[in-house]
Amino acid sequence: MRYVVRALGWATKILWIFIVFFAATSVYSALNVRMGFGQPQISVSSGFVLISVPLFVNNTGFYDLSELNMTADVTDFNGSLLSSSSTFVALIPRNSSVDTAHNISINLDDATSQLQFYLFNDTIFNMNLSLKVKFARTVPFQASMNTTIPWGAPLYNFSIGQISYNYLNFTHQEVLIPISFENHSPYFGVDGFMRVEIYNDNDELLGFGASGLNVPSHSSYDGQVGMVVEVSKITGRGEVHFYFETSAFSIGPLVMPYG
Amino acid sequence: MVEERDTKTLVRKFVPRVFKAIFLVFLTSLPLHFLSAFMEPLQSFSFGYVPLTNIFTLVFIILLVLDVFTSGTIYQYVFGVARALVVMLFFIYVLNGGVVALAIPLGGATVNVMVDLRVILAMIVLICLLGMSKNVVQAIDFVSGKVETEEL
Repeated sequence: MRYVVRALGWATKILWIFIVFFAATSVYSALNVRMGFGQPQISVSSGFVLISVPLFVNNTGFYDLSELNMTADVTDFNGSLLSSSSTFVALIPRNSSVDTAHNISINLDDATSQLQFYLFNDTIFNMNLSLKVKFARTVPFQASMNTTIPWGAPLYNFSIGQISYNYLNFTHQEVLIPISFENHSPYFGVDGFMRVEIYNDNDELLGFGASGLNVPSHSSYDGQVGMVVEVSKITGRGEVHFYFETSAFSIGPLVMPYG
Repeated sequence: MVEERDTKTLVRKFVPRVFKAIFLVFLTSLPLHFLSAFMEPLQSFSFGYVPLTNIFTLVFIILLVLDVFTSGTIYQYVFGVARALVVMLFFIYVLNGGVVALAIPLGGATVNVMVDLRVILAMIVLICLLGMSKNVVQAIDFVSGKVETEEL
């Protein structure tokens, strides 16, 4: 009986020493882990908005960090998922650092039905960031936060003004369509061209024209597109169809009535 | 003459126990004081653990003192088991069953932090169970020893 008591006593003491040692070194190590995010880089190409967030982890503690998994879910104002991305780092050994980047890609063409809304309306996207890491391969740690990303419409307040007609000859006239909008996007300029088609109220194509676009962020566009139309087809009412081909997005037709 | 001898025996018996109790209380309250001081900054994250740590310290010290003063009796082991049980329940409660969750306000946003300490908690519970079983075995040994003495 004495040996059993002695064995249990020693086992208890050894385990307490081990756990106190592990707790103390873990807290010390956790305080020596430096983790942070750099300045996000936002770029737009071929209908994708790419947000790249630099991530660095400097582990100067006593224990390895493993299974680092960072996920970011971007949802719109309705709660619809626009993008889900994750970055995985298998192991960050002690006394080492890792520099990586977390890329969030939002496909604007994916959400064509909603794309029109994003092109013409300012809104906010909700981003749910989550970071999971295993400390000392035994203690899982998770941090998560919700944040918002402001979205500025690149074609905010898009409108056509009063259409004017210039006399050319007995059969043809020049139609001038004034167009204006504001690029509220903080991320990209509207660079490309715009094709405009004008229809009468019998759905007959009167004519078409095109205009180059170069509208930087936070600036407005105020211009006009001219085209030659047959006088006999002019009814004074109808629709204008717009087609956009820019570095950030391609969309069309956007239909606006006139007259 | 007999009364004087009894008082001397009592003094001889209890004075070392008093000193032992004072020494053990001092030795135990040091890490518990540091534990309390360590948890103090976490109060702002809706932790209610500092008052709990103080209550735990008080209960632990009372059981320790009772353990010292009842040494040589069966109650020593009863208080030993109670102490291990108190430690176990304290850690289960403080570590929230092994999953500690915090909400830290950070520049307008709130960062939710979750640490899974179930492995650590399992080890602490195991140690406490070992401590309890040690006391139970000691109690059995004590009782059987006493029965043997009485039979002789």
